[in-house]
Amino acid sequence: MANTIIRGSKALGNSNDAIDFDTKWAVLASSLREIHTKNASMLSFEELYRNAYQLVLKKRGESLYERVKEFEEAWLKLEVRPRILAVISSALLVGNRGPTAMTTTDEKRVAGERLLKALKQAWEDHNICMNMTTDVLMYMDRVYCTDNRKPSIFTASMAQFRDHVLRSPVPAHGNKSIATFLYSVIMDQIHMERDGDIIDKALIRSCVYMLEGLYESEEEEEDNKLYLTSFEPEFLDASRRFYEGEGKTLLRQADAGTFCRHTMRRVTEEQDRCRSTLSPLTSPKIKAVIEDELIRNNIREVIELQGSGVKCMLDDDRLEELQMIYELISRVDPRKEELSRAVQRRIVELGTEINTAAMNNSQAQPTNCTKQDSDKAEGDGKASEKPMNLQTAAAIRWVDDVLQLKQKYDTVLLAAFHSDQGLQTALSRSFTDFINVFERSSEFLSLFFDENMKKGIKGKTENEVDALLDKGITLLRYVQDKDMFERYYKKHLSRRLLMKRSISMDAERQMISKMKMEVGNTFTQKIEAMFKDMAVSEDLSSNFKKHVARLGDPDPKRAELDIHVLTSTMWPLEAMAPTYYDGEGRPMCIFPPQIERVKHGFEKFYLDKHSGRRLTWQANMGTADIRAYFPESKGKIKTRELNVSTYAMVILLLFNDLPPGESYTCEELQARTNMPLNELTRNLQSLAVAAKTRILIKEPMSKDIKLSDKFFFNESFYSQFTKIKIGVVTSGNKVEDQDERKETEKKNDESRGGSIEAAIVRIMKQRKELSHQKLITEVIQQLTTRFMPDVNMVKKRIESLIEREYLERVEDSNRPAYRYLA
Amino acid sequence: MSSSVSDFVTLVSNDGFEFIVRRSSAYVAGTIKRMLDPTSNFAEAISGRCVFNNINGIVLEKVCEYLYYNEKYKNAKDVPDMDIPPELCLELLMASDYLNGQWSSGRKFMKDRTRAEEFRSMSLADMQTTIA
Repeated sequence: MANTIIRGSKALGNSNDAIDFDTKWAVLASSLREIHTKNASMLSFEELYRNAYQLVLKKRGESLYERVKEFEEAWLKLEVRPRILAVISSALLVGNRGPTAMTTTDEKRVAGERLLKALKQAWEDHNICMNMTTDVLMYMDRVYCTDNRKPSIFTASMAQFRDHVLRSPVPAHGNKSIATFLYSVIMDQIHMERDGDIIDKALIRSCVYMLEGLYESEEEEEDNKLYLTSFEPEFLDASRRFYEGEGKTLLRQADAGTFCRHTMRRVTEEQDRCRSTLSPLTSPKIKAVIEDELIRNNIREVIELQGSGVKCMLDDDRLEELQMIYELISRVDPRKEELSRAVQRRIVELGTEINTAAMNNSQAQPTNCTKQDSDKAEGDGKASEKPMNLQTAAAIRWVDDVLQLKQKYDTVLLAAFHSDQGLQTALSRSFTDFINVFERSSEFLSLFFDENMKKGIKGKTENEVDALLDKGITLLRYVQDKDMFERYYKKHLSRRLLMKRSISMDAERQMISKMKMEVGNTFTQKIEAMFKDMAVSEDLSSNFKKHVARLGDPDPKRAELDIHVLTSTMWPLEAMAPTYYDGEGRPMCIFPPQIERVKHGFEKFYLDKHSGRRLTWQANMGTADIRAYFPESKGKIKTRELNVSTYAMVILLLFNDLPPGESYTCEELQARTNMPLNELTRNLQSLAVAAKTRILIKEPMSKDIKLSDKFFFNESFYSQFTKIKIGVVTSGNKVEDQDERKETEKKNDESRGGSIEAAIVRIMKQRKELSHQKLITEVIQQLTTRFMPDVNMVKKRIESLIEREYLERVEDSNRPAYRYLA
Repeated sequence: MSSSVSDFVTLVSNDGFEFIVRRSSAYVAGTIKRMLDPTSNFAEAISGRCVFNNINGIVLEKVCEYLYYNEKYKNAKDVPDMDIPPELCLELLMASDYLNGQWSSGRKFMKDRTRAEEFRSMSLADMQTTIA
């Protein structure tokens, strides 16, 4: 379109060929000079514009364009450059005075600023002049440049500024260009600022504007800015060196906290610098430099710094510093490996300490005890009770310590690590690690629940109980051998239920539902069955009472019976009567006739209802309330209600038939009751030795019970309470000793074997044929919620199943595989 | 300097006619806009008076009319045609080419040249009608 018009105008215009190019150029040239010397107000825009217009119309656009360029080049070379060079040489003078005279930072800065100012001035002048020139030559740009695809005169002159000012060499300095000086001045200034000096940010910023306004090529592409192509790489390079050095110095001189604070400050500082002094374009790049040099290369050492690293921060709860470490490491490593490694290491360390402490606590005592035993044999009675309690205390301590540790790290995670998912997993893993390394964790945890159910939750609100149980459950989550825990829990629970030691049935139920949620239905099945047995037994007892009442038994001395009928598969009977559970001929305690009668009555009543069942009496688990009459000194008879174990009741009832002043020896008592000797001694100890409950008098008086010892009824027994509870040494839940533990493990292994076999059969039934490796993997996967199966055990079970012809080996397979035999 | 803030500027033809127009309307023409730009400080910018040595009064009058017309309908649709006498077409065409250097306030050539094109095509169309 434009072409059409111009051709038209030429053809039709009153073309005056006499218009001389040189005359018109002379006018323009002198005017350009005026513009450059800032005397434009004398010039008529219209005249200049018209001249250029006419020259372009006359097809002299190209000459005009070239002439203007020549003019600019000359101007830059002859007027602008010398001024800059003068500043540079004076600055060099300052720099070159060298060590003799003091080249203070201040002088250096002033010299640098002079160069910056000169360049800024030159650049701004050039811009203004070129804007005006372009205005005047607008017609040329529009018609000549567009049609001939030449860069506009403005763009061309910018390139000239680049080549003839910035890139022109400084004579005294070989091939160093003015730009090199500029860059080093800027770098110097930034360096000063990094060292804490105050610099003229705006001045630098305007020089950066200049670099941003200049391009490598005339296409003026964004990423071809001089700033990006030449200054920025140098800046980043210098910064890299700077921060590399600074990182090293900091590591040498400062502690981890200072390092973090400093680094954080540097990061914001550089961001601010990019905003206020340099270009926002650099922001992400300098950030990467700091992250590389200060953080990535050093974070590991910072984390491990002796005396101030993550370990100390964790120990001293320096959350703020931890948070900084976290923020720093998140910048360079989304997985925060170093941090999580350090935290994990610390947790495992602390956890191991807790484990050893618990082990020491629970083991130191028994050795002391044996020492005591040999030293003073008479101290045995108490000594054997005390360490047991201490052991239990150790177990509780262990759980408390672990919980405290957990609590602490949860706080750290929340406050310092922004609840980071990865770190959370790492924490859990460490807890799992050290808890499972500790072989008594399941037992101790169960003891913890036991203790709380019996005492701990007394007087606590529902919410507190809930929180407490939740804490315990969190630990349970970490325990891998959940079957072991179940075993212990059942054992402890059975004691609680049978001896009515539980404070709150609600809490018990709550606990079960929590476990169900955490571990699954199968886990709590048996435990729930235990509760059911308890409920059923209650009904049973009351029905039996009614039944007895209906029979109209007249005997007022008849003993009342409160019975618990327990399903033997659900209850850990072996745990309740560990000593003589050998599966065969357990000695039956001989009950006194009045008790025997009740017992028969109940057996008849029960078996009438449920034929085909077998009742086994577990006298060792029972308790009895006895009303005993003691003759008071004034001849008045005083009544006391004694709460004793079933065995103690059996023993005491024997004394009913004994004339006053006579005695039984221990041996006689055993013969009459047929009780296991250890149970007998234990009960006798609590009846005759324990200071406050001496219902019986022992001869000779010592703490040890010997078969030949004689026992008398203590007629002068006195207690200020009407109701007396006479505990038996075994009644509490305690940490197992080595033998018991071995026993439990053996039992557990057996039941694990069963679970493994069941799992194998389940899998094979479904798959029919499976390679060895896959089978093992699947078995482990299925069982892992309950325990970590041992691969050797799985192998053994496979062998045994092959022997029993559940499986067979697949013969012609390159990898070992099995087939299911229906 | 007072003229630089004045809302009106004077356009003068080569035969001495003076047209006082609103500054904003005058700015429609790129050349006039640059000529009056206070920052470049040319004589015209200082005096607020532009003398056009190659445009006569008749044409300049039509140009002024167009400047107002253009500003008035800047954002309107269904703009009525401006009445252009056929005998002025050619001279107006040349004046538009001369005056209409449509530059953005910055240094880049405006991509959107619609307004320039509009003026030119209008003139051209009219010219063709005349020839026909």
